[in-house]
Amino acid sequence: MHDEKDLGRGRISRRQFLRGATILGFALAVGADLILPGEVLAIPNSEGFLLVDLKKCQGCGTCMMACALAHTGVASYTFSRIQIEQDSFANFPEDVFMATCRQCQDAPCVEVCPVEPVKANKPNERFGNVRMIDQKLCIGCQACIDACPYTPSRVQWNHVIERSQKCDLCVDTPYLGEPGGPGGTQTCVKICPENAISFTRTMPNQKVEESYFVNLRGPAWGKLGMTME
Amino acid sequence: MSICGYAGKILRLDLATKAATAIPTEKYRRWGGGHGMGAALFWDLCKDKTITDGRHQANVCCVMTSPLNGTIVPSAGGRCEVVGVGVGMYPISWFTRSGFGGRFSTMLKHAGWDGIVIEGKAEKPVWIDIRNDRVIFRDASGLWGKDTWTTQKEIWQMVGVPRGTKTAWQELARLDKDKKSAKDEGRFTQKPAVLTIGPAGENQTAHACLIHDAGNGAGQGGFGAVWGSKNLKAISVLGTGSIRVADAKSLIRARMVTKEKYVASSERPDFRAWTRLGTLPKPIIQVPPPTKDRRPQSCQGCINGCRTRYNVGYGNESACQETAWYGPYARKVAKNAAENTEINLKAADIVQQYGFNSFVFQTGLHWLEHLYEEGVLGPGRKIPSELPWKEIGTLNFAEKLVHALSTKTDIGKDMADGWVQAAIRWGREKDLETGALQFSYWGWPEHGYDPRAELEWGYGSIMGDRDTNTHCFNQIFTSVSAAFAFAMPIRIEAEEMVNLHARKLSPYAKGRPEVLDFSDGNMYSEAVAQLVRWQQHYCRFWKQSALFCDLKWPDFYNTNTPDLQGATASPDAGEQVFWNAVTGDKLSFEDGIELGRRIWNLDNAIWVLQGRHRDMVHFAPYVYQTKFEKGELFPFYMWPCRDEKGEWKYTDLMGRALDKGKFEEWKTTFYRLEGWNRKTGWPKRSTLEKMDMTFVADALQAAKRLGEEEA
Repeated sequence: MHDEKDLGRGRISRRQFLRGATILGFALAVGADLILPGEVLAIPNSEGFLLVDLKKCQGCGTCMMACALAHTGVASYTFSRIQIEQDSFANFPEDVFMATCRQCQDAPCVEVCPVEPVKANKPNERFGNVRMIDQKLCIGCQACIDACPYTPSRVQWNHVIERSQKCDLCVDTPYLGEPGGPGGTQTCVKICPENAISFTRTMPNQKVEESYFVNLRGPAWGKLGMTME
Repeated sequence: MSICGYAGKILRLDLATKAATAIPTEKYRRWGGGHGMGAALFWDLCKDKTITDGRHQANVCCVMTSPLNGTIVPSAGGRCEVVGVGVGMYPISWFTRSGFGGRFSTMLKHAGWDGIVIEGKAEKPVWIDIRNDRVIFRDASGLWGKDTWTTQKEIWQMVGVPRGTKTAWQELARLDKDKKSAKDEGRFTQKPAVLTIGPAGENQTAHACLIHDAGNGAGQGGFGAVWGSKNLKAISVLGTGSIRVADAKSLIRARMVTKEKYVASSERPDFRAWTRLGTLPKPIIQVPPPTKDRRPQSCQGCINGCRTRYNVGYGNESACQETAWYGPYARKVAKNAAENTEINLKAADIVQQYGFNSFVFQTGLHWLEHLYEEGVLGPGRKIPSELPWKEIGTLNFAEKLVHALSTKTDIGKDMADGWVQAAIRWGREKDLETGALQFSYWGWPEHGYDPRAELEWGYGSIMGDRDTNTHCFNQIFTSVSAAFAFAMPIRIEAEEMVNLHARKLSPYAKGRPEVLDFSDGNMYSEAVAQLVRWQQHYCRFWKQSALFCDLKWPDFYNTNTPDLQGATASPDAGEQVFWNAVTGDKLSFEDGIELGRRIWNLDNAIWVLQGRHRDMVHFAPYVYQTKFEKGELFPFYMWPCRDEKGEWKYTDLMGRALDKGKFEEWKTTFYRLEGWNRKTGWPKRSTLEKMDMTFVADALQAAKRLGEEEA
């Protein structure tokens, strides 16, 4: 149903909507232009997405530490918005998994945010509708963490400040040193030594989990004796 | 003084009393981290520094991190340093070191600890379960006897962490059902980082390793035996904390510069770049890979992984030496290349699982085979052995050999204290004269970089405590020799090569390319002594305390840059740039070398207390008595040397022996430059006091081992 070619920047899918008590709050949060006929609110599509090559990652965790550093100035596994899971005793390719936020079109984490009148977790229209958590508004209910349909949850719990956090494509990165977000730099993409993470403005197929998994291996990879498939 | 980059405390474990206490890291901050801190902790906490066997109960073993661990400093984030008195060396097992990679040091810091000091002996086998601030001594009776991989997997299970990937976030506090506190300690998706011994360590055999994950090992030093002597099976760490860095913005920028400027681009790949830091991902295995279905695999924060994981179920995470120890034998029996690879990689798995340091086989197995072929070793012979020697080269033989040496059975009984010790026990001292047993220094085997050719390697090893295993300059040999062997282009000619190095050899040899001239006429010179000093001091701080990876640093030359200058000491991505970004210090590259000099001096003071005197600083006799005729890797040993006209050329260094008398003169020069007494090699008070190490001078004086002042 969601043909990627039909999903232009910022367009709203009528499948993604919110009803009832959260409508007013959401409208305030994301702008009146999101009110569709019949008082249905829709979540505008994100204008950026991370794609990963699960067969290219070397498991160095540089993206994790850089993510935490760019956002908060500390290095940490726990506070990273991208999670690289490894099992040293498993075989390729099941030994590594790269868990990135998908900036979902229907954004269950946004939908479930109970904060009123302005949601804490919402698309940021100034930065390509990236789904972001405003930690000043977050009440720490963790509903967004539970609502994320993926394992591990792509929304993290920051136990120090007792608030949720998630990937914002580096919009709020005071330590990055250059503009982030959909029009700028994503730290993990730029810093990955293997170029195993990429950024796209084209929305991957929302019905297929694997649509976020891509082959980023250029000809050099094959010449180095590693699979191109 | 900044504490950025540090967790702030060091865990002190007394296994005898099951006490866990914290030492403020600040107290040891002057030593930087890693080896420096570990040596200083050993100095303070080891009550008997005359011990000469690491299995002695007075031994103190320190597992230390660096401020750079757990960050994005390229190829420095994942190393970990182990120090203490070693096992299996000859004639004395010195205070020594080993290092390993992976993610243990990262997890330890995120759990809130900059290192672990291990003292005493547990009454029964224990493993240590660290979860942030909580440290639990657990019964290891169910793990004792198990291999290193099984042990780790069982510990993961006991901690409550599932195998595999795509696992859910777990709450640290909820892992412990007995815990009463409801405090939120954070969540994690990572596996516990476990450092463990296998059967080789449990049986306290020489050359037993510490193993972490599938293929990270602290090999040299015999620290597996040290842990075994303390009844310590494993340490597991889970951390949900973080490390604050002083200047995250500069740190990220420098890392980006490293990638963009110094590392070969995958878009414009240079498969044969001459650089240490900036190669394309090509795992260092000594056999053709068994499949293309594999990935590069690295330690935390590495710029380019040197290992690999396959889909075939063997060889994962093994690299370099352990993938080659069985090579000369496997290829005699393998029917084809694929089988040869399979035997070699499965042999690598065997040593990883037993926790056995395969490095000793590099020259040692040639010796054992020689004894067998000579009719001395084998069933019913002078050196009795029931191992299936006729099957050498098969996987069955490899497993039985490693088993015997790890369990003190068969010839393993005689070899448990070391290989040179076994040679003496078997009446084979002459093999150290003929070179049949090529254990060059301190009971350790020659590394493939023969001391008669590659001087800084050999001289550095004998002036230190072990096979130095520091590849600062060694890539000159491998790059140039490979180019000659395979008719590949010489990317950097000899004169330019030495000049590129000399630019970065501050402070002792800056602008002095002659320090790299290993020709016959220069091999005992003051210049070569300065090179060895530089390497020891650089390594003691930047490599073994700051924990920059030996395989990637220093980066002297780099064909990825227009001017061929590598990242080392550079103003945009040099070692000091990263150190300062993390810690907030204003350390210069040379400050780091000076710190390394102090650490090196502290080490030497410990060796002196253990009994070192210059009279015992000798290579094995064969190094003086026989010529270097057969290379491990190539039939020649290419190195930049000046000819009779003073022109630099790559020259073959094979075919010579060391002159003992001249080497003795070189030692005198080295001691003089270091400010150590020339007759004894002991540090002088004047030298130590200039480095703010009066406490060391006092201790040496009390032991009547302080070097006399000289004119």
